[in-house]
Amino acid sequence: MLAATTPPPSPRPEFGCILDPTSLQRLHELDPQGTHRVVERVLRAFEASLQRLLPQSAQALRDGDHEAVRHVAHTLKSSSASVGALGLSRCCADIESRVRAQQRDGLAEPLCELQAEGQRVLAAVRALLPH
Amino acid sequence: MTSEHAFANDPAGKPPQVLLVDDDEVSLLLTALALRERGFDVTESGGGEHALQLLASWAPDVVVLDAMMPGLDGFATCARLRAMPGYENVPVLMLTGLDDDASITRAYQAGATDFFVKANQWSLLAGRLQYLLRASRTRIELERSQAKLARAQDLARMGSFDWRRGGARSGGSVLLSAQGLRVLGCHDNAPLGLRAILRLVQRSERRAVLRLLRESMRHNAVLATDVPVALHDGRQRIIHIEAEPEFNEHGHGVGYTGIVQDVTDRRVAEDRIRHLANFDSLTSLPNRRQLVWRMERAIEHARRLGHPCAFLLIDLDRFKIVNDTLGHAAGDELLMEVAQRLRACVRHNDQVMEGTLEAAGSRAHRSLEAVGRLGGDEFIALLPEIGDERDAQRVADRILEVMRDPVLVGGQECFVTASVGIAIFPRDGGSVADLMRNSDVAMYSVKSQGKDSSAIYSPQLAGRGREKLELESALHKAIERDELVLHYQPKVDVRSARMVGAEALMRWQRGGTLVPPADFIPLAEESGLILPLSEWALREAARQARIWQNSFDFADAIAVNLPCRVFERSDLIDQIHQNALNYGIPHRMVQLEITETGLMKELQSVIPSLHRLKDINVEVAIDDFGTGYSSLAYLTTLPISELKIDRSFVRDLGVTPQSSGIVTAIIAVARSLNLRVIGEGVESLRQMEVLHRLGCSLMQGYLFSRPIPADELERWLQQTVLPRRAPWIGQAAELDFGSPTPRAIAGRSF
Repeated sequence: MLAATTPPPSPRPEFGCILDPTSLQRLHELDPQGTHRVVERVLRAFEASLQRLLPQSAQALRDGDHEAVRHVAHTLKSSSASVGALGLSRCCADIESRVRAQQRDGLAEPLCELQAEGQRVLAAVRALLPH
Repeated sequence: MTSEHAFANDPAGKPPQVLLVDDDEVSLLLTALALRERGFDVTESGGGEHALQLLASWAPDVVVLDAMMPGLDGFATCARLRAMPGYENVPVLMLTGLDDDASITRAYQAGATDFFVKANQWSLLAGRLQYLLRASRTRIELERSQAKLARAQDLARMGSFDWRRGGARSGGSVLLSAQGLRVLGCHDNAPLGLRAILRLVQRSERRAVLRLLRESMRHNAVLATDVPVALHDGRQRIIHIEAEPEFNEHGHGVGYTGIVQDVTDRRVAEDRIRHLANFDSLTSLPNRRQLVWRMERAIEHARRLGHPCAFLLIDLDRFKIVNDTLGHAAGDELLMEVAQRLRACVRHNDQVMEGTLEAAGSRAHRSLEAVGRLGGDEFIALLPEIGDERDAQRVADRILEVMRDPVLVGGQECFVTASVGIAIFPRDGGSVADLMRNSDVAMYSVKSQGKDSSAIYSPQLAGRGREKLELESALHKAIERDELVLHYQPKVDVRSARMVGAEALMRWQRGGTLVPPADFIPLAEESGLILPLSEWALREAARQARIWQNSFDFADAIAVNLPCRVFERSDLIDQIHQNALNYGIPHRMVQLEITETGLMKELQSVIPSLHRLKDINVEVAIDDFGTGYSSLAYLTTLPISELKIDRSFVRDLGVTPQSSGIVTAIIAVARSLNLRVIGEGVESLRQMEVLHRLGCSLMQGYLFSRPIPADELERWLQQTVLPRRAPWIGQAAELDFGSPTPRAIAGRSF
């Protein structure tokens, strides 16, 4: 099979500030020929991860389960950074450090922001994936 | 995914296997991709439990663990992994957060090899993994090489140690490797105090070892010594210690580092080699080398202290016969018994400590006293200090006494006596060589005067003329050394051109030259050696008769010349019996010759033997007949079979008329007494012709053959006599044809 050079993925204009083009470019460079469909696989893994973790964080907030909150934040922090969702990653890092510092009271607000930013990222990712 | 990164330092050239454990699918996927791209063989796992399951059946080269995972997190996984057999040293890299100091600490506590801040910097991660792999390989190689070293040290019974100087009381502590502890028979790993180790040293050696240690330490000298120890389990070993001093930055000695080695086996082997080099393996007595060394030391001491010392050379009188008749095993048995007896005659010392000989008091040389074996049946007794020659004489008498008891070898009683020659330092010589030679002269004088006695060297003994003495001494050894040979001169019957017997003539192969009988037989007769020479000749002739019987059906007799004193010996008949029995031949196949002169001189004592010989069918010929003064009256009664016409008459045949007259008379006498007659020294066809015409057809001489070795005689028969090729054969046939049958031997067919 001839591997046609696929163009690097670029977020549609309306999602421009949600997914960082440089990060996406670096992803693309892992598999420039597109032979292994690396970008698609990473984005799908991320989509699945988001779909699983966003509801978990909402539940954890309701249960007051700080360890679960921390786990979601920690996981999403690095994987969102990998796909260029830098805003989401910053938000996760903020929550993670608050949990570690045991600032239990101020978690509701950043978690709401996590939900909102998470939904935006999810939409942006889906827009990049072929249907 | 192909790799552009060659893992050049991986000996197998295979890509390193990585187990990557991360619960975050995105991270897992990306990290795996990045590592594969850099040439790693990555196996992904989504959690700690799953990873441990994988590890149960497969061992990767390196494990990468995400620290934060739900369920079994990275720390717990790492701790569990370390507890699995075989995973004690596998490199584990823990992925932690950037600002997570606590995780880093926990990672090390859980047994991780290193940590790495989780980020998308794949090249850095790959570099770190390569570094871990290299370190791991180095570690494995180091462990292997340590194991090899330990094994090698164990095989060499060697171990290393480190000693740091301590206070005066404690002596400092010694750090021994596991192998070193084994060498010293210690099983726990506790550091040993120097004092504890010194207590292992055998008590008698402890002081000397301590002195050596102090001396070495004072000079910061290299230490190398062998120490006998008694280990806690009771084993006595010899430990070799070799160590070098260690210095601090100020150049002061602070201790020693080196090895201990169990060298007991080597020392035992060395002792064995030394024993083999210095002792006779058959009798365990000191050998020639050891004896010479002891004699040299004894002379040194005697010279310094001004006392005499003595060498007794002891030679067995009938050893050769025992060896020949009963075999070498019996000979060996005899020598061992003799060695035992001789040892008891002196204050025998097996071991001489060289050190004590130099160091100890003025009586130390007495430890040199011993009996040793020079070789063959020759022994020496060394008396390193005597009052005067009577002391040596007393020891010689004791030796002669113990030797006279019969020795039981091979189930048979043997009587072996000894001849002892004594030489005394300084009177009889100033060196080992002189004293050896003079004790030999003295011993030999005993041999020549009938053995079983001793003699002290005197210049008169040597005055008999060195050359003659040496000849005698050498002839004495000639039999043992197989230097004697018999040559054979055929006797022929010229009528039938056949060989009808042979005369055996003794030759002495001395060095490269063949000594003719005239040069040693008179000496042998004078010294008494003629007896063993004759015994040997009878045995050898019997042996040869048997060989010829086998190879060409020889059925005649080999004649051996014997002096009359042998005929006087009562054991002559026994010997002939014994030889006939040993070689399986009839008695008549060995014939004896006695000279007319000898026979007439000792007639009365010889006659009984002649009768006994006739009784057992051994024929006797009278040699050189016509030169003595035979009493015809006796001649008629003597039980003899053959007259041999002396060569002087044969030589003059056809030259002077008198000679043919004498020959005619001898032939007439022989015919009337019913004796065979044979002409000796026939050298020309003319002599042959005349003899034959006068009625003697049996002859021997150069015309037919010189005396030749046994195998040459066979060749002479094959190539000359049987093909009828010699000039005398044709001539003889003509003669025979032209004359009436001149039967010289009446009543005998030949």
